[in-house]
Amino acid sequence: MKAKSEAAADAAQWSRLIAAVATRQDHDAFAKLFGYFAPRMKTFMQRSGVSEARADELAQETLLAIWRKASLFDPSRGSASAWIFTVARNLRIDALRREKDLSAYEEFDVDAEFQVDESPLPDSRLAAAQAQARVRAELAKLSQEQLRAIELSFYEEKGHAEIAKTLQIPLGTAKSRLRLAMRRLSKLLGELR
Amino acid sequence: MTIQHHPSEALLTAFAAGTLDRGQHAAIATHLVSCPHCRARISLVEEVGGEALANLDPSAMSSGAYDRVKARLNELGESPEIVATSAPVEALNDVPGLPAFVRRYPVGPWKWIAPRTHLRPILLPKADGARLFLLKSSPGTTLLEHTHTGVEMTCVLAGSFSHESGRFGPGDFDLGDASVDHKVLVDLGEDCICLVAMQGNLRLKGLFGRIAQPFIHM
Repeated sequence: MKAKSEAAADAAQWSRLIAAVATRQDHDAFAKLFGYFAPRMKTFMQRSGVSEARADELAQETLLAIWRKASLFDPSRGSASAWIFTVARNLRIDALRREKDLSAYEEFDVDAEFQVDESPLPDSRLAAAQAQARVRAELAKLSQEQLRAIELSFYEEKGHAEIAKTLQIPLGTAKSRLRLAMRRLSKLLGELR
Repeated sequence: MTIQHHPSEALLTAFAAGTLDRGQHAAIATHLVSCPHCRARISLVEEVGGEALANLDPSAMSSGAYDRVKARLNELGESPEIVATSAPVEALNDVPGLPAFVRRYPVGPWKWIAPRTHLRPILLPKADGARLFLLKSSPGTTLLEHTHTGVEMTCVLAGSFSHESGRFGPGDFDLGDASVDHKVLVDLGEDCICLVAMQGNLRLKGLFGRIAQPFIHM
């Protein structure tokens, strides 16, 4: 696992790279984002139950979406990696829906389905920044195993068996680790109430 | 009124992970419209998601993947495209507390399902076993006792109701599953309107339930 300071430096660098894409359509900045995130996005997509070739395509699509939506990234609302996660998540939802129903040619506006913040509180941005700092601090305390277990919650049930295989542990162990890790996360989330 | 009843952390995590069905997603989103606390918790889960994503083991991309994407950047022109937000007719404009994407879903007509109780189906694009509807009951109505074959999520939009777990007003979220046996009383004052997401079928109990049952199937 990365040292805390290194992770924080990465986070600041990704924000700058996204800003460079948004303001200058900077290809070098985009190449760096692609180099780091596309291969990880491919892993993320593969664990969602799609084939390797499809995961490769979806990783490309996600990076393309990052290029197109870069100007929508607002660093005061969350970190660069969290924003990249939401772009990947929405694209994955769209892809899985299309896979389930090949006859659906409707345009899904998945982004709209996550826009619920119609009455932001005046202090919500400050709260977001504080939340980010808390999450980073808490995550830094988790073991690699716990972090891996938390990852399970970002995939549908059917992906869990494959993840357990990747981690070379029985599915039951993966699930109980997930429960433990989620309990820690829940405690953290609960403190925000 | 302050919100008293929130979705569980597990449900909020599933929402942020994008693994809920459309009906459940809509029910949680409706709670989020009026609950800044849960919105903050969603942001937290997204931070965790970002951290998890950034720490994944990389899988080698196919050869030429970057060049293929780069070619498409040029196709799109130099300025990154801002995604246009479409503004179709909002069928549910008159209902308070719904997120915009739910207001845009097409709806069926109000249907009588029980004394002083009406149901209006919201037509999800692809139902994948999920149902979503508005339920409106007059003040003082005792809702039919029922159990569920699946999970039922309720978010109050107007008015309020009470059952064993307390009083539920606008923004409050209630979860029922096969183990819950609801006896719900609509509070006095105004009509109670709720958004309800359901998996499986309702099982109404008692003679009246058996008569009303066919009307519940949408």
